[in-house]
Amino acid sequence: MKIDLNNLSRLANLELTEDEKELLPGQMEKIIDWVGQLSTLQIDGEEKFISVDFNLRLDEDLPRESLPQSEVLSMAPEAEGDYIKVPRVLTEK
Amino acid sequence: MKLIELGLTEAVELVKKGELKAKQIVDDYISHIESEDPKIQAYLNCAFDRASSRALEIDNKKEKGRLAGAIIAVKDNIVTRGLKTTCGSKILEHFVPPYDAAVVERLEAEDAIIIGKTNLDEFAMGSSTENSAFFTTRNPWDLERVPGGSSGGSAAAVAALEAMAALGSETGGSVRQPAAFCGVVGLKPTYGRVSRYGLVAFASSLDQIGPITRSVEDCALITSVIAGFDPRDSTSARFPVPDYFSDLGEFSEKIRIGLLTESSLKGVKQEIAENYHRVQALMAELGFETKSLDLPSWQVALPCYYVIAPSEASSNLARYDGVRYGFRAEARDLSDMYVKTRTQGFGSEVKRRILLGTFALSSGYYDAYYAKASRARQVITGELQAAFELVDFILTPTTPEAAFKVGEKRDPISMYLQDYFTVTANLSGIPGISIPSGLTAAGLPVGLQILSRPFEESKLFKFAFKLEKSFDFQNNRYRINTSGRRKNEK
Repeated sequence: MKIDLNNLSRLANLELTEDEKELLPGQMEKIIDWVGQLSTLQIDGEEKFISVDFNLRLDEDLPRESLPQSEVLSMAPEAEGDYIKVPRVLTEK
Repeated sequence: MKLIELGLTEAVELVKKGELKAKQIVDDYISHIESEDPKIQAYLNCAFDRASSRALEIDNKKEKGRLAGAIIAVKDNIVTRGLKTTCGSKILEHFVPPYDAAVVERLEAEDAIIIGKTNLDEFAMGSSTENSAFFTTRNPWDLERVPGGSSGGSAAAVAALEAMAALGSETGGSVRQPAAFCGVVGLKPTYGRVSRYGLVAFASSLDQIGPITRSVEDCALITSVIAGFDPRDSTSARFPVPDYFSDLGEFSEKIRIGLLTESSLKGVKQEIAENYHRVQALMAELGFETKSLDLPSWQVALPCYYVIAPSEASSNLARYDGVRYGFRAEARDLSDMYVKTRTQGFGSEVKRRILLGTFALSSGYYDAYYAKASRARQVITGELQAAFELVDFILTPTTPEAAFKVGEKRDPISMYLQDYFTVTANLSGIPGISIPSGLTAAGLPVGLQILSRPFEESKLFKFAFKLEKSFDFQNNRYRINTSGRRKNEK
């Protein structure tokens, strides 16, 4: 099956290297054809798998201690004051 | 006997009795790793200073924990406070986590010693460690071959006596397959049995942490320590944890074994099939009732897995955008920064899986792929449940072949086929263990997989323990080459 790799990479926020542009389309198409075996299954009436249900329950919605702000900020590539800093969001065209 | 050859349970007993110092053990491991690991390359980062000071603390304690002096390697997608955790990826190359994973906390609370972080396929995506952004780990049994993956560093470290035991993680067989390739024991516990707090997420409906050990006994002991409810992992199960170690012993009840039909073994290398036939014969000798199982949905388990796992991965890996942690690429604006960071930070297999997942979830394809795969997953799970009404365990080869050569598998699908026997346990949440069941003519280990009902790890260990004794694999264990040791012993 043909896929639109440009659109997929845009959705995934990825660019491909020259090597990947060469190799990936063929590989992806092969993989998608291979997983396409699933379409031969007559299972449309089956339930969808939701989750492994082993006595799971929802957590109570209570405030809990989290990491100190300074530690969280120290992981960021760039921080200033109480904030994580990122490159400008809007640029002039 | 060298201390590195001492089994985990024996070593812990001696340390607890005060007959052996944890510091002596650590020193012996450090010198062995320094001489051996340049060949094996199991470790991404060693934590010798942390291990040495922990050992001194433990030696000074009056009351010592259940794993006192146990030397443990940890897969590098399990976070360790103050110790780099890279996931085998450039995008986390310099990431130092501010907290410990639940499993690390639990091990250290019982006085285990973390000796280092082991290599893996980037973000646990692969079956050979060849997808690590840093280097490929070598199989201690044959350095030209892969150790399996993605927990290949952990399995190789245990096999090469560079750790007493290790933690790995599984999404589709990443503990059991490398355990089989390296001739060691590997467990994927029931989904929910072990807290994943601090395990870097790959596919959250499948991920689970499991131990890799030299023996079933060691595996039972470590599982007893790391298992149990943790409110920080919302999928963590609230069932009590039995003492798996003390529970090892004879069965009082009748045990029924499920075996695969011959047609399920097509595509399996001949030596692996022969090994499986010997196991079948052994079941009769040991007096177990056997039943041949027809599991038709196994045929689609791999395609099902390769839709679900990449779909979840594409969502989980969206967090690596250069904002909060990890690598950030230079860029002119925010959206350019996202793209450049991810493009430069992720390797090809990770990109391939993100794109596959993006495809399977994208509008127009969702029903044909993701929805179809979720239905198939339900069918596979139902089929296994039905099988476990008839039998207590299902036996399969762990892998379709023994360890392959580095660089041998260029085609992604041929690599994905490695997971043929293992993915069903992840898709359905049941536990599975791989134990060494023999050697090929070329002297490579072969693994036997045992699957059981959810939360029946106790029974699973008991059975694996019995088989382990019948295989007597211990005598075949990889013998370390100590030729390089002298220069480190000054």
